[in-house]
Amino acid sequence: MKWTISVSSSLDEVLNFLAENREIYALEKAANGHYRLAQTATWQPEHHTLGDFRQTEPLKALFFPAREFIGRWKDPTIREPMLERIVFGVKNCDLSSLGIFDHVFLNGVCPDPYYAESRKKTILVSTDCNDQLDVCFCPAVGEQPYATDGYDINIASTPAGYVFEDGTERGEQLLSTARQYLEPAGPELLETLKKQRKRRYQELVEHSMAHGVKPGTDWRNAIESSFESGLWKDFAEDCVECGACNFICCTCHCFLLADGYDADDTPARSKLWDACLYSNFAATAGGGNPRPLRAERLRNRFDKKFSFFPQVLDRYACDGCGRCTEACIANIDIRDVLRRAVDECDALHAHSSGHRAD
Amino acid sequence: MNATLYMPIPAVIERIEDETPDIKTFTIRPVEPIPFAAGQFVELAVPGIGEAPFTPSSSPKISEFMEITIMRTGRVTDWLHSMKEGDELGVRGPMGRAYPIEDFQGREILVVGGGCGVGPLRSLLLALIDDLDAYARIIVRYGAKTPDSIVFRDAQMHGWDQGGALDVMLTVDTAGDNWDGHVGMITDILTEDHLDCHASDGIAVMCGPPVMMKFGTDKLLERGYRPENIYLSMERNMSCGIGQCGHCRLGCFYVCKDGPVFSYDEIQADPRLWDD
Repeated sequence: MKWTISVSSSLDEVLNFLAENREIYALEKAANGHYRLAQTATWQPEHHTLGDFRQTEPLKALFFPAREFIGRWKDPTIREPMLERIVFGVKNCDLSSLGIFDHVFLNGVCPDPYYAESRKKTILVSTDCNDQLDVCFCPAVGEQPYATDGYDINIASTPAGYVFEDGTERGEQLLSTARQYLEPAGPELLETLKKQRKRRYQELVEHSMAHGVKPGTDWRNAIESSFESGLWKDFAEDCVECGACNFICCTCHCFLLADGYDADDTPARSKLWDACLYSNFAATAGGGNPRPLRAERLRNRFDKKFSFFPQVLDRYACDGCGRCTEACIANIDIRDVLRRAVDECDALHAHSSGHRAD
Repeated sequence: MNATLYMPIPAVIERIEDETPDIKTFTIRPVEPIPFAAGQFVELAVPGIGEAPFTPSSSPKISEFMEITIMRTGRVTDWLHSMKEGDELGVRGPMGRAYPIEDFQGREILVVGGGCGVGPLRSLLLALIDDLDAYARIIVRYGAKTPDSIVFRDAQMHGWDQGGALDVMLTVDTAGDNWDGHVGMITDILTEDHLDCHASDGIAVMCGPPVMMKFGTDKLLERGYRPENIYLSMERNMSCGIGQCGHCRLGCFYVCKDGPVFSYDEIQADPRLWDD
């Protein structure tokens, strides 16, 4: 069912109602024009926005914190249950990235109860992207600037009004309790939204093409075929293996179980984000390392995203958010790497066809 | 609400036995039994210090305690080697895929070990010996650097050949004064001269350093073993042990949950297979 805000109500009223008795996360506009996700006691229209494009930090941090306390040695203390929380302004790239985390932390051999609880207790309110950052390229990896699933409630903003849509039973129930602020969205509004989404998608397609990454490209084949290519060495010359691309990535899920001591000297364990760009990431005891070279580690990152995940989950572990490009201090643009892989793959193909022609 | 999947349970070190100058076998008794199958591994934690993966070397029939044979080769193993009987450590597991010994029934089984890699193989051998009549024949080929670095020497001499029921042969890379056995690489005792086997339908199980497994696999293929009948215990940085943390990826697998035991045909296409 699709709704819009009734003439006697406002967006702020609806959002405040939805947020009642919940921990709230909402977007704030930073001085540089980007958004950041902030915790807040109430939705404040002068501070908060649904945002026209994704925020700087990845949504994963709400479910997979950069540092998560796991437990103390021989201490059976259990963690306090989480409060229910609501996140406003989630964009499709981040929403889609949760599919990777669900696969890793829910559907594996041993589900993570902390992750499961955080997913269960979080209401996701997504919004369409009405603008984009220069680094965005979601259509090139099969995504689009609006959510099609994974949200509890989606709010699309059009010049003709807002469109609210539930995506889950929970979202449906929540909207049904907010009926005093809503009325069914009319066909004209829905038609406006349909056209707007089509136009936005096309704009993103053109933007991606302008940066050399074409929607529909077989990135898996390109990355797998360029395994022996010199492109990895070339990009690795600039890479300083800071791991920023890993940490800022909305799908990178690798972590380290770090042992240490609590303030009272009790051994304790935490879960920390880890980065496959780091030289000792895959190192084994005794000095072994399957990827001693930076070029090999850079290649591994692409291999994981564009070969491993297509094999195990039938999708890329990249949603085109462009955060890695934004974060890279060596100015490595993921689109340049992908385009080069395609170029080399094409050249290889042309070369082998040439041989056959001979 | 807790995350026991990431937290070890306590275990007491009951016994520590020196195998070689840098290899010890620890007998640990966890507060709860840990039933495991041969080839599966556990994460041993030194509380506050760190954790590392090891495959038990004891019989999988026993779950109240387990023996783990550990070479001193890094930060965690340095700590482990400094621990004493009665000390406490943490253990998580069992993890990963075991040797499919139900598929080994009625077959000839060649067990090839190198260095400390013989630990996991000892667990397998104890399981096989327990039901000796179920297998056509059991052959053991084991290589160590020097006579001093042979692990489970007593078991070698008095237990493993089961009074001649097993065909056991050892080799050392470099011999000392009191060694009258074979001298040479492990691959030297996998040749026709030293290994009489039914390669075409036999099972081969191998565990050892990556370079030994690489050349060992080549030799077994050359002898006619089929890729799907060669089982390898792969080594990677297995940290969480449950396929989440990402450290031990090997192609489309995680060694911790999809392995550590793989048949060669599952992994042979990986261009990084033998990178260690």
